[in-house]
Parts: sequence; structure tokens; C-alpha cells
Amino acid sequence: MLEFKSVSPYTLGVELELQVINPHTQDLTRGGPDLLRALEKVAHPGEIKPEITESMIELNSSPHARHDSLLEELHAMRDAVVHTAGSLNLAIAGGGTHPFHRWHERRIFPTERFQQLSSLYGYLAKQFTVFGQHIHVACESGDDAVYLTHQLSRYIPHFIALSAASPFSQGQDTSFETSRLHAVSAFPLSGHMPPVSTWAGFEEFFAKMLGYGIIGSIKDFYWDIRPKPEFGTVEVRICDTPLEVDTAAALAAFVQALAFWLLVERPYPADRVEEGLYLVYGYNRFQATRFGFDATLVDPRSQQSLVLRDDLLATLERLQPFADILGSRAPLARLAAMAGSGANGSAWLRARHEESGALEDVVRHSARCWAGGV
Amino acid sequence: MDGNISFAFLPALPPALGPAALFGSLLLAGLFGGELARRLKLPRLLGWLLAGLLLGQAGPWLPPGWSLHPLLGETRLFFDVAVGLILFDLGRRLDLTWFKRDRSLLAAALLESALAFAAMAGVLCLFGFTRVEAGLAAAIGLSTSPAVVLLVAREFRAEGQVTERTLALVAINTLLAFLTATTLLSVAHAENAAPWHKTLLHPLYLLLGSVLLGSLAARLVLWGARLLGKGPESKFSQFILLAGMLLAAVGLAHAFQLSVFLALLVFGLACRQWDSRYALLSVDLGGAAQLFYIVLFVLTGASLPLTAVLAAGLPVLAYLAARSLGKAAGVMLTAPFSRITWRQHAWLSLALLPMSGVAIALVHDLTSLYPQFGERLGNLVLAAVVLLEFLGPLAVQAAFKGAGESRPEGDEHA
Repeated sequence: MLEFKSVSPYTLGVELELQVINPHTQDLTRGGPDLLRALEKVAHPGEIKPEITESMIELNSSPHARHDSLLEELHAMRDAVVHTAGSLNLAIAGGGTHPFHRWHERRIFPTERFQQLSSLYGYLAKQFTVFGQHIHVACESGDDAVYLTHQLSRYIPHFIALSAASPFSQGQDTSFETSRLHAVSAFPLSGHMPPVSTWAGFEEFFAKMLGYGIIGSIKDFYWDIRPKPEFGTVEVRICDTPLEVDTAAALAAFVQALAFWLLVERPYPADRVEEGLYLVYGYNRFQATRFGFDATLVDPRSQQSLVLRDDLLATLERLQPFADILGSRAPLARLAAMAGSGANGSAWLRARHEESGALEDVVRHSARCWAGGV
Repeated sequence: MDGNISFAFLPALPPALGPAALFGSLLLAGLFGGELARRLKLPRLLGWLLAGLLLGQAGPWLPPGWSLHPLLGETRLFFDVAVGLILFDLGRRLDLTWFKRDRSLLAAALLESALAFAAMAGVLCLFGFTRVEAGLAAAIGLSTSPAVVLLVAREFRAEGQVTERTLALVAINTLLAFLTATTLLSVAHAENAAPWHKTLLHPLYLLLGSVLLGSLAARLVLWGARLLGKGPESKFSQFILLAGMLLAAVGLAHAFQLSVFLALLVFGLACRQWDSRYALLSVDLGGAAQLFYIVLFVLTGASLPLTAVLAAGLPVLAYLAARSLGKAAGVMLTAPFSRITWRQHAWLSLALLPMSGVAIALVHDLTSLYPQFGERLGNLVLAAVVLLEFLGPLAVQAAFKGAGESRPEGDEHA
């Protein structure tokens, strides 16, 4: 009943939520509708869509087999968006949060779905003006998707540390590497998939939730990772939108290499969900949002404590042979370098703030970085 | 005991109202009008104007010895400060590189001014005004009221392309209005057989002096801002720097008999264009400026010469029609080359309608220099201002609302 579309496995796609900025104030502005309308007349690959408030837009790439073609497409989309925004006197930025916007000034994008979400969730809807990257990786079957969803959950902290780009919120340094995830956690259907181990089991769970009237479609689950049957993918939704497209594409390559390794080697049992995976999940997730690469994680299998950075570097090392086959040695090297030096988006944003003291400048630099100027 | 009690400590009656009492009374009158307008879902500034209008007409009913008019003469300073703040804000918002990134916007800015000027001047020539008179009236009519557009945009929290483009066009047409009016002033001097130094030097002094003053003020502010830095604790210091420099610039423009308006517009523009290191924080002049804006509109209302409408007669309607059509044509002609829609261009045309209260000041300056230009031209421009002071804010409100850029009513967090 919930058919899982079968597509060529390991193909990749990304969604990037972006900030629409008024370059006079460096604050968010409701430029989304004007920008989307103008982009209808501009040739570009992929799709560019509205998001819940009018200060956001979302880039959707096409499916790609390899990292390099994904990156090329993201560059083309970025250039089209930045150029068109410039002609409307708007700026575009990545990053998981806007450093100082006031959520109550946001306006809900006037589509039926967004208006419904707003009337259901009240102020949470406007507070959801945060910017994430979603990464899709294709699987052959629903069972594979369920397996992959569970196994990728072990790497949620790694994605958090690598993509973190939201240290500031509502005008303050939050002391977190990513403050964006707090906006997500407030929703009742956030969290992770229940411990079902087959697609049939997932279908049963889905039918129950539908029957209770709690959900209308898979879209209503705001999980960190969820299967997306209509695309035939697993969708990793944990990442902040990075400050530039190269990191976004590299993160996608990381997910692809992990999926390739996990589905080809099947290193962990598929007939049941290891209990430990979700016992440590919340703790590890918190550690990563707060401390980034320096987080202390608990390994669900060995029950040992380990430093996120070390585990990440070891994981990237383990993925090398798979990265060679997928043609993604360079992006994984990029991520390893970031982990080695602690240079994620949050560190960069904090350094910019340190330089000038003004969050306006942080946004200005961030927009320049997104445009490819840094 | 001495039977003579001295009451010398009591003031003479009626007591003289000083500037503080006057400023306060104008604010309170504005408060009343503004609240009324708000309840009717109209722009507050219409209420401020209306309150001023009532005050201005109240003369005959005031107690003997009390007259508003001598006091109104003293309020030119309030007026100049308020308009100065607005023009500075307008200039500071405009990034001139936008015109490079969107040539259609540059075309719209030049075309709407050129066509409106030609249309207004042409129509007035048909009505028997001399070419210089017609040109002067057309120059004054070029400017869309920066105060009305900015304040309506702020009150209704308008955000979007129509709002931003309106503000950009207003900055340009206001600048062009000053330049054209000043240039025509020198022609007027020449036609009146004024000596050459007056013909040439006075306009040149006005233009160059005002631009120089504005530029110097901008340099000083940017230099000061760099010294103050940008940490959270600097925000207040930068506010004081800006407020101090703004008041000083208005005062100096007065002292040197320069154009306050041109100087402050240049000040704002230069602050934006020259701030390559982004030293100046985007300080909001906020509540303090708002007080001056209320007084500005109450004063404008009080000085609106209603009788001018009747005296001006038919030509004023023709003048206004030519102005609106010229501006709309200029904007609409660029629509096919623009990134925004036809509909948005139409709303943009509508938002350019308000005429500047600054025109009153320009006419006043002009007629005091050249009484012979006097009545007919003055009446025409003033009548246009009277009509548009009331229609203009409604047009801007409708344009921003129609374009979907005002904050929607009933938004729980408005």
C-alpha cells in the first residue's frame, strides 16, 4: 500500500534551504516570492521552491550518480540564484540559522500546505525559519531503505559536526555548534523512525498512524532520517545548510559512500534493530550539537566512549575503497581536512564575529561566501 | 504691613508659548489624529495631517492674542530636522550598484522623471505659464514625497520589490527635482536680469555647497564609526554619533544658507556608497526620529493653504494628471525588461503619486526671492500638494497592500 519506488541505487540528490537577505540591514526579508517569480524566467537546472516562510527558498538538485556532476549542477543553480537575487537587490546565504532575525517578523508563505502547518503549529511554524540540507540516497527496495535508515543513525553526530553552521540565534552566541536542531526538536513528530526492521513493518506502523489521524503523509514525520518511498530514497535531514555548495556536495558524497558500504557489506544484522542504536541516539546527538568535532560519543556496540573527530576520521578512512569506486575521494578528503582542523561553518562564523563584533558583518561575509567569493 | 501686593512673578497674559510647549502640543495633536486614523485603518500620517489642518484653521477661535502663525514661522527648524532625517534615511538605504545589477531600474528612474517633467511642463505651457514657470513647477513636481513613502512603508511593515523599488525611485526623483529646480532658478535669475554673479554663483553655491556639506558629514561619520567600532556596546555610541552629526548638518546647512534637503540626501547616499569597510552599523533612528515625523506632518497640515485649491482651478488638475501619467508611463515602459511583473510595475506607478511637502518649502523660498513668480505658480504647486497630501498616502497604502507587501492584517505577531 505504501509502494517504495525502485530506482538506480546510490544515486544522490540534495535539497538546500537558503536565507533571503536584505543587504541594507543584513536581516532576513520576504524576498522569496519575488525571487522565485524572477527565477521562472531564468534558465537553471534543478528546481527552486518556496519554503514555510517568505524569507526562505529551497534548491532541489536532480538525481546524480556521482558527486562531480552533483557539484557542477549545484554551482549552476547557485550562480542563477545569486545573480537573479542581485538584480532584485537581495542577497542569499547558507548557514543553519540567521544570526539575529526575529522569528515573529517572518511571514508564512501563502500556500495551502504552509498555511495549514502554521495554523496547526502556531509560533513553531515561524520559528521553523531555519535552514537545513536534506540528502537523498536511492535504495533498491523498501527493506534496504529501512536497514539504511537505522544504520545511518549511528552517523547522525558526524553529519551534525561537519555541517554545523548555526552558532548564533536571536542575536546571541548559543554556545552550541548548531542551534538549528532545537527548532526541529520542538515538533511532536520529530525524532527517529521506530524500531521496525522491514518495509512491511514500516507499512504497518504507517497505516496505524494514518488510522489515528496523526499524519496525512510521510512528510509529516520530521525525523532526522526517513525513508521517502515516492522517490525510492532514504533522506538524511539532520544537516545545517553549509555556508557554500562544495561542502554541501561533499556531505552528499559522504552519505552515498556510507550507503554503498552499508548496503554492499551489510556489516550489521538486518533482521532486527540493535537496541543500543537508539539508546545512545539522543545523548550522542546532543553531544554533537553542543561540542561538534570535540563531542564525546558512546559507541552503541562496543559501549566505549570515543571522540567524534577520531571516529569520523576512522570512518572516512574505512570508506576509502568505496569512495574510489564512486569517484568521491576528493570530497571525502575535504571532510577529513575539516574534521582535522575543526573548520566547520560554525567555527568560520564565530571567527568572522570575533573580527568585527557585529552580527551584520557575519551575515555579509556569509552571503559573500555562499556566492563563491571566499 | 505694606498693602501693595506685587504680582510681578506672574507672567503677562496671554503667556507666550515657547518652542517646547509648541513641540509638545503638536505631538499631542498628532497623537489624537494618528489614533483616529489607525482606528479607521488609514495611515497614521493622514491623522497627523488632519490634526494639523484643524489647528491651522483654528486661528479665529483662539483666545485674543493667541495666534499660531508667528509660532509656525519658528517651527521651520523642526520641519528641516524631520525632512533631513527622512532624506538621510532614504539616501542611506540606496545602494547605487543596484542600478548596475538591474539596468531596467535605472531606466525606470530616468524615464519616469523625464516623462513626468516633460508632461507637466508641456501642460502648463498650454495653460499660458511661461517656460521658466512651467519648468519650475515641473521640477518641483518631479519629487515623490520621501516622507510619505517611508512612513507608510514603515507603518505597514511593507517588504518586497515594490517597496524597495519605490524607495529607490523616490531617492532619484528627489535628487533630480533639487538639481532641476536649482538649475532653473539660475535661468529665472537670468530672465529677471539679475547680475551674473547671482545668476551663476547662487545656484552653484547652493549645489556645490550642499553636496560638499553632505559629503563632509558622511566622511566624518564614517571616520567616527571606525573609531567607535562595532561591538554590541558600540551601537548606542554610533546612534549618538549619527544623531549628533545629523542635527549639526541641518544646523550648518541653515547657517550657510545651503539646501538642507540636498545636503542631507547626499549625506545619506555617501554614507552608504563610501562605507567600503562597513564601519557604520545600520542604526535605526527609531522612536526619536518618529517624534519629529509627527511634528512634520502636523506642521504641514497646519500650513496647507486650502484656498490655493480653488484659486488654482483647472490647471492644477491638468498638472496632476500629467504628473501621474508621466510617472506611470516611465515605469510601465520598462516593465518588459524587468525581473518583476507588470502588476508590480502598476503598483509601483501608484506608489510614486504622493507629492512632497518639501514643495511647500521650495515654493516658499522661491516666492520670497521672486515675488513676481509668486501667486499663480505658488497657488498651482500648493494646490497640487494639498490634493496629494491626502490622496498620496492612500495611494501608497493601496500599492503596498495590493502588491502583497504590507504585513497582512490579523497576523497574530504583527
